[in-house]
Amino acid sequence: MNIVLRELRSNLKSLIIWSGCMATLILIMMMEFEAYYDNPEMAGLLDAMPQALMKAFSIAGPNLTTLIGFVSIASVYFYIMLGIFAVLLGSSIISKEERDKTAEFFLTLPISRTRAISAKLIAAVINCLLLTGVTAAALYSSAAPYNPDQEFLRFFRLLMSALFIIQMIFLSTGMCTAAVIKHYKKSGNYSVYTLLTAYIISVVISMDNKIDFLKYFTPFKYFEAQYIAASGELELKYLIISAVIIIAGFTGTYLIYPKRDLYI
Amino acid sequence: MNIFIYEMKTYQNSIIIWSLSISALMLLFMAIYPTFAEDAALMESILSNFPEEFARAFGMGGNLSLTSVPGYFKFIFIYIQLAISIQSSNYGFHFLSVDERELTADFIMSKPVSRRKLVISKFSAAFSGLIITNTITTAAGLISIELFRNGNSYDAGNILVLMSSTFFFQLFFLSAGMLVSVSVKKIRSVLAYSMGLAFGMYIISALKEALGMKALGYISPFYHFEPGYMIEFGKYNMERASISFAFIIVSIVVSWNLYMKRDIHSL
Repeated sequence: MNIVLRELRSNLKSLIIWSGCMATLILIMMMEFEAYYDNPEMAGLLDAMPQALMKAFSIAGPNLTTLIGFVSIASVYFYIMLGIFAVLLGSSIISKEERDKTAEFFLTLPISRTRAISAKLIAAVINCLLLTGVTAAALYSSAAPYNPDQEFLRFFRLLMSALFIIQMIFLSTGMCTAAVIKHYKKSGNYSVYTLLTAYIISVVISMDNKIDFLKYFTPFKYFEAQYIAASGELELKYLIISAVIIIAGFTGTYLIYPKRDLYI
Repeated sequence: MNIFIYEMKTYQNSIIIWSLSISALMLLFMAIYPTFAEDAALMESILSNFPEEFARAFGMGGNLSLTSVPGYFKFIFIYIQLAISIQSSNYGFHFLSVDERELTADFIMSKPVSRRKLVISKFSAAFSGLIITNTITTAAGLISIELFRNGNSYDAGNILVLMSSTFFFQLFFLSAGMLVSVSVKKIRSVLAYSMGLAFGMYIISALKEALGMKALGYISPFYHFEPGYMIEFGKYNMERASISFAFIIVSIVVSWNLYMKRDIHSL
C-alpha cells in the first residue's frame, strides 16, 4: 500500500501535465466544432456524395457535421497520446529504480519483487484510469452544448473503453519491455519505438489494402472509431487479441522481473 | 575537439539506426506508390465528374494530384518529418542534461574547458549527427523516388527544397529541447519530454489539417514546414517558416545565457 501511494505521488506531476494537455487540446478542438455543427451547406454536400463510391474505397467520409463524425476524426490521436503516456509510464515505473539509483534501497525492503510489481501495476492502472477519466470528462463536457443524443453517448462510452484498452496494451508492453531489457535507457527506447512502428504500420495499411493482414500488429487499428460508430460495438476478435496481449505482457513482467539481475 | 569527438562516438549507433530506419521508411512508402497511384487515379477519374468540393473532401483537392510523384511524396513526407522530429528532440533534450542525470557533471565541469567551449562542442556534435542523418535520408529519398516513380515525372529541385527544410525543422526541435533542458532542474527521462514535444506538435498540425484549428496550428513546426506548399512552389512559406526561425534564434540565445549561469546539480 505504501508503495502504491508513493508511486501515485511520484507520478502525480506528469499525470497533471498530461491531463492538462489533453483537456486543453479537446476543448480547443471542440470549439472548432461550432463551425461544423448542423451546418446545412456542408450537410447538403455530404448528402450528395455518392455512397457507393465511398464504400468502394473504404473511406466512408465521416460526417463532420455530427458529433460522432467530428470526434471520430480525432480519435486516433487520442489513442496515440494516451498510448504514449501508458508506454512511457509502464517502462519507467519498472526501470526508474535503476535509473535513479534507488534499486538497491527499494529491493532490499522486506517485500518480494512480485509484491513490488503488483503495487506498481496498481499505481500505473490507476494513473491510466484517471487520464482516461479526464479525457472523457473534457470530451463530454465540451460536447454537452451540442445536444448529444443516445447514439453519441453509446459511441462515446465505447470509444472511452477502447481508449482504456489501448492504454492497457501499451502499459503491459512497456512494463514487459522494461522487465526483459536490462538497461533502462534501452528499454525506454524499445517500448517507445514499438509504439511508433505500430503507428506507422497503421498509416501504411490505410494506403494499401493488400497488406491488410498487418492490422493485427497495430493496436491503433483494433478499435477504429468509424467501425464503432457504424456497428455500435467493439469488435470481439480484437477484444480477444487485446486481452491476450495484455495478459501476456503482465505475465511476462511477473515471470521475468523477479529473476533478473539489476543494472546498478 | 576531444569533447566533440567523444560526443560523436556516443551518437554513432543512434545516427546509424535512425538513418537506416528513416531511409527504410522512405523506401517502404515509395514501394507502395505504384499500387496507390493506380487506386488514386481511378478515384480521381470518378471524382472529376463532381464539383471540386468532393475531391477536397477526399483529401485529393489542390493542384497536386495524389497520383503524381510530388503529390504522393508530400503526403508521405509528413511521417518522415515525424520520425525526424523525434530524433531531433531526443538529441535536444539529451545533450545538456545528460551529465547531471548520469552524475558525470562533476567530472566534466572540473576539466580545464570553459562552459562556452563545452556547449559549443556538444551542440555541434548533436547537430552534426542530425545533418548526417539528413544527408543520408535525402539521398535515400531521391533513390527511392527514382526506383518506384513508375515513369512519372517530378521536379527534383522542389524535392530538394523540401528536403533542405528538414535542416531548420531539426534545428527547431534541437533548440526547443535545449531550451527546456536548461530551464528545468533535472530531466529524469529524455523520452518523456521528447515524445511529448514531437508527437504533440505532430498531433496539433494533424488536427489543424483535419478540422481547421487555425490559431493553434501556428505553434507547430509541422505547419511551418508543411510539405505541400514547398513541393508545389519550390520555396519556403516564409510567413510561417519565419516563426520557426525566430524561435530557433531566441531559444539558442536564451539557453546559452541560462547555461552559462546554471547551478549544476551534482551529488
